[in-house]
Amino acid sequence: MVVSILGSQIIGIIPLGDIVFYMTSFNLFMFAAALAFTFIIAISKTETQVEAEFGTLGDRQLTVAKKEFKFRRFLAIICGLATAGAMVTGDVFDFTLFVCLIGIVNIGIVGAVKQIDVLDAAFQYGLIAMIASTPLFAGAALILASAGTVSILAINSLTYTTPMMLLGSILLFLGVAGETGVAPFFATKAEMFRTPGSPFLLIIHLSSLLVIVRVIEILLIINKPF
Amino acid sequence: MLVLVPPVVSPVVVAIYAPAVIVGIIVALIGLFGISIEKNDLHVLILTDIVGIAMLIIVAAVGTDLAESLILPGLVVELAEILAICEILMSREMRKTGKSVALIPTPLNFDMEILQTAPVFIAVILVIYGAFLSGFTGGAIAGGGILFYVMSLTVRGVPSSLWEGIAGASGIAWCLWLMGFLVLFVFPNYWLLGLMLAAFGVFIKVAFKAGLIGVMNREEFRKE
Repeated sequence: MVVSILGSQIIGIIPLGDIVFYMTSFNLFMFAAALAFTFIIAISKTETQVEAEFGTLGDRQLTVAKKEFKFRRFLAIICGLATAGAMVTGDVFDFTLFVCLIGIVNIGIVGAVKQIDVLDAAFQYGLIAMIASTPLFAGAALILASAGTVSILAINSLTYTTPMMLLGSILLFLGVAGETGVAPFFATKAEMFRTPGSPFLLIIHLSSLLVIVRVIEILLIINKPF
Repeated sequence: MLVLVPPVVSPVVVAIYAPAVIVGIIVALIGLFGISIEKNDLHVLILTDIVGIAMLIIVAAVGTDLAESLILPGLVVELAEILAICEILMSREMRKTGKSVALIPTPLNFDMEILQTAPVFIAVILVIYGAFLSGFTGGAIAGGGILFYVMSLTVRGVPSSLWEGIAGASGIAWCLWLMGFLVLFVFPNYWLLGLMLAAFGVFIKVAFKAGLIGVMNREEFRKE
């Protein structure tokens, strides 16, 4: 049986009972990109920053202690794996869980830093992520209620759309936007980036980019605008 | 309009769905309004929990078993996020003031007669009954038994290596639970094996987790 999702043919599915991962050339590419970047992060060392002050020669070097470095690398790898999982999952419910994991891990990556303003930004980001989990899960629940299933493959074969699906999709998108900190909520994330330890912080960025692309794919599958 | 609800469901339950979703949205908006006018960080954190409860209302309105699979992770995610944000708030305040505080600031002080006079027999009964129940509930009951035993023995003192060993066994039992779930997903034919692994894994894990609270208590007792 040839099944196509958004015009691209399914290369294969990985059935694990209820939980089904599926691969098209589109999300297989994003999956590989997330895994490759995670691998680069796992073998890379952290950068050191130099803080300069105006009017003086008092430059300070900011380094990351080894314990904190290891902890951050671990969380960054978890974040990369969650991103990779969100790329290939065939389940709206799994997708929400992966996005939530990304949100929590992003807080954790910057949670151990010593600068007060970065901690402040992480606190604000955490509040947004926590508030955003409401539309995220509510959107998934409304999609479940209106489509009768959370499997993307099953939703793909539905022939109708209802207004409730549209509402669910909008809520899901709001949730993902808040959870990954894009568009209206990016101010706190930009502030979080000012801490030393660059390669691990970049996974925060990459995960949000890939997840946004993926959520748009899921919303197109659900609402079938074409 | 297409109706997905099977006919066995009472029409009253079906009629509640739309009002429940609206109530959830209203609760979320009340929480957001509270956050917008509140300036204290701790109060904002507590108000955020109200928005999380709105999510539970909307998911619970769906009321199928798939919705149940959403509601439990939703609750766990809310708890995990609130704990993470609390930690960040605490570490920020510690950096600001320069003082550091322990996770549990005050030592627990139980001076109850029942802990010395009650027989340990009750703990044995609780553990056996928990083993009979198995699963999460049984684990909680057996853990209560272990906790009771620890609390009644704190006067005499318990060897600490014993409880550290129990903590390790708890971790291994959790791996059993995970393996049980993997068996259920990958080899559905062996569902009975998977079920038993998961049930007894989570039983041992929860029982020893509750026992670990006893360990912490014991250490706090010794501090005095």
